[in-house]
Amino acid sequence: MKRKPVIVICLALSLSACASLGVKPWERDLLAKDEMALSADPVDLALDDHIYFSKEAASGGRAFAGGGCGCN
Amino acid sequence: MRQIIILFCLLSFGVIAQQAPNFNLSDPALGSRLSDLKGKVVYLDFWASWCKPCRHSFTWMNQLQAAYGEQGLVILAINLDAEPELAQAFLQRHPASFHIQFDPQGNIAEQYQLLGMPSSYLIDAGGTLRHVHQGFFTDKQPVYHQQIKTLLGERYTEQLMTSMGTQK
Amino acid sequence: MQLNQRNNILGALTAATCTLLGAPAVSQEAQSVEEPWKFDTAILYYGESERVTAVEGVFSATKDFGNEHIFNGKVTIDGLTGASATGAVPQPTAQTFTRPSGKDEYDIAATEIPLDDTFRDTRVQLNGQWTQPAWQDYRVSGGLHVSKEYDYLSMAVNGALAKDFNQRNTTVSLGLSYAFDSIDPEGGRPVAFASMPLKRDFASEQQYQDAFDATRLTGSDDKNTLDLLLGVTQVINRRTIMQLNYGVSAVDGYLTDPFKMLSVVNTQGLTQALVYENRPDNRTRHNVFWQTKYAMDSGVADISYRFTTDDWDIDSHTLDSRLRYNLSPNTYIQPHFRYYQQSAADFYQPYLMASDGLPQFASADYRVGEMTAFTLGVKYGVLLDQGKELAFRLEYYQQDPKNPGFDAPGVLQDLDLYPSVKAVMAQVSYRF
Repeated sequence: MKRKPVIVICLALSLSACASLGVKPWERDLLAKDEMALSADPVDLALDDHIYFSKEAASGGRAFAGGGCGCN
Repeated sequence: MRQIIILFCLLSFGVIAQQAPNFNLSDPALGSRLSDLKGKVVYLDFWASWCKPCRHSFTWMNQLQAAYGEQGLVILAINLDAEPELAQAFLQRHPASFHIQFDPQGNIAEQYQLLGMPSSYLIDAGGTLRHVHQGFFTDKQPVYHQQIKTLLGERYTEQLMTSMGTQK
Repeated sequence: MQLNQRNNILGALTAATCTLLGAPAVSQEAQSVEEPWKFDTAILYYGESERVTAVEGVFSATKDFGNEHIFNGKVTIDGLTGASATGAVPQPTAQTFTRPSGKDEYDIAATEIPLDDTFRDTRVQLNGQWTQPAWQDYRVSGGLHVSKEYDYLSMAVNGALAKDFNQRNTTVSLGLSYAFDSIDPEGGRPVAFASMPLKRDFASEQQYQDAFDATRLTGSDDKNTLDLLLGVTQVINRRTIMQLNYGVSAVDGYLTDPFKMLSVVNTQGLTQALVYENRPDNRTRHNVFWQTKYAMDSGVADISYRFTTDDWDIDSHTLDSRLRYNLSPNTYIQPHFRYYQQSAADFYQPYLMASDGLPQFASADYRVGEMTAFTLGVKYGVLLDQGKELAFRLEYYQQDPKNPGFDAPGVLQDLDLYPSVKAVMAQVSYRF
């Protein structure tokens, strides 16, 4: 029960901190690389997820990616 | 700061009307400053080798150069790669029939407050920023064509009126 | 005033000259910038020592139809054979079990952990996902999922909306998914805590069959899963990107494993009966997932941490790290380390005490018990021309179930109630 406010605070902090973070659109050369995508190698991740889903009690957590390549 | 905010507001409509920020040109054939290109319509593009949609925009700009180059359109593509050799490798694979200038520090991009890659700006013959295109989307191309034709038409009319004026 | 007049004339003349300029050589139709299809294929072998063996094949196809309208379709086929822990405890003497179908029996040697070796299943899974930009700075995505195996059917739909802020340095996304699963296990679903009948205890085949049927429910059962995911992705600097997700998952329906049972033991630790397990019919889980990727000059570091907690009292921590190191411009090696830890469900019991009577819910499935697990692996990839890539992956996975605090009675003290599970994974992937 005590965890929920903590999560909310974390989210709020990370959001408010966002405005001062980041790069200019032309500084995304490294982030645009395929291997820098948050869900790089989706097939590996899906296979792993399936194994761990069937062998452990917890699952999920990772989402579809945002960001990564800034190429619009 | 206010300038940035106004620019931002205007950008959301894709229509702007302010003097294009000036910068030095690296190709002496074009002139020494962007302002030297007054009298021409300028299509100013910003690209990088790592930007995937930029490959398509190169094909498109080559076609624009072929179609409107004779009618007074100058295409200037500013490269923003931090490592120039990557840009050279890209140009080997995607040859350009238009002007290329290198801005590895992003100084010109900073002046134009780019919002994404690629971005392009249409500057009329009077040196005024008229349209901004963020990203490269083929479904917007008919609109871009119309904008270029309108600016070229204005330029042609200006020339016509100037010559009429001098005759009188 | 004069200026205005001039502008009006300008406008009129412009309209006229535009037509004079004529049609340009370039087609004004939106030109097609469709990307070619991209394919990701992989085959994975998963083998546990003395238990399950699985082979899984994936064929995934992605196409950008232009303007970032992207389709991904995926077919996954897997085959599973081997033995799986039943939940029953080992005994100092040999044990006999009835197979889930009721048609047959199998024996487990003294001191061995009871495994049911009848598992043989083939699963086919289809996924389709469509993603495209919408309005300014938004992306929408929608997908379908169907998975079918002999006794199980799963169907799901998902939808997500993402918005970029702050020069696309911040992305906020919201996703929803609904899944419907239907299960119709071989031999029917067991009645909760029904005692497993053994043929030898009955005078005739018919009497045994009647007794077995009495332990089974007819027809299929189902469950509904609703998932909600809220994510924030943030570019930190030119080399670092971070993601933080919060997810909640609510499952409602048949959550019992029809193939799992519990031993009912006396104070000497000797099995008196074997009863089928029973789990609550709903579960709500919260999870927080944090991931950071860092671009080095020579590769990429990828670290993630996940915390989950649910109303079954299972808390879990997962730490996952991959370090991609580029050996040359077109080869890389990627070590992988994963650590996992979970606490036991409140209804987890390694066995039931005959003297205690039956609880409302109980399961001896080690997968809802306390455990730690780790994975050690390495991947080697070769980048070929035109975006093709060939990669090999080899991993070792070990699960170490733990006693969450039960004092084993009698003979159980000398038996291994929490054996480790060791598995090897080998994968070949090809992208073209």
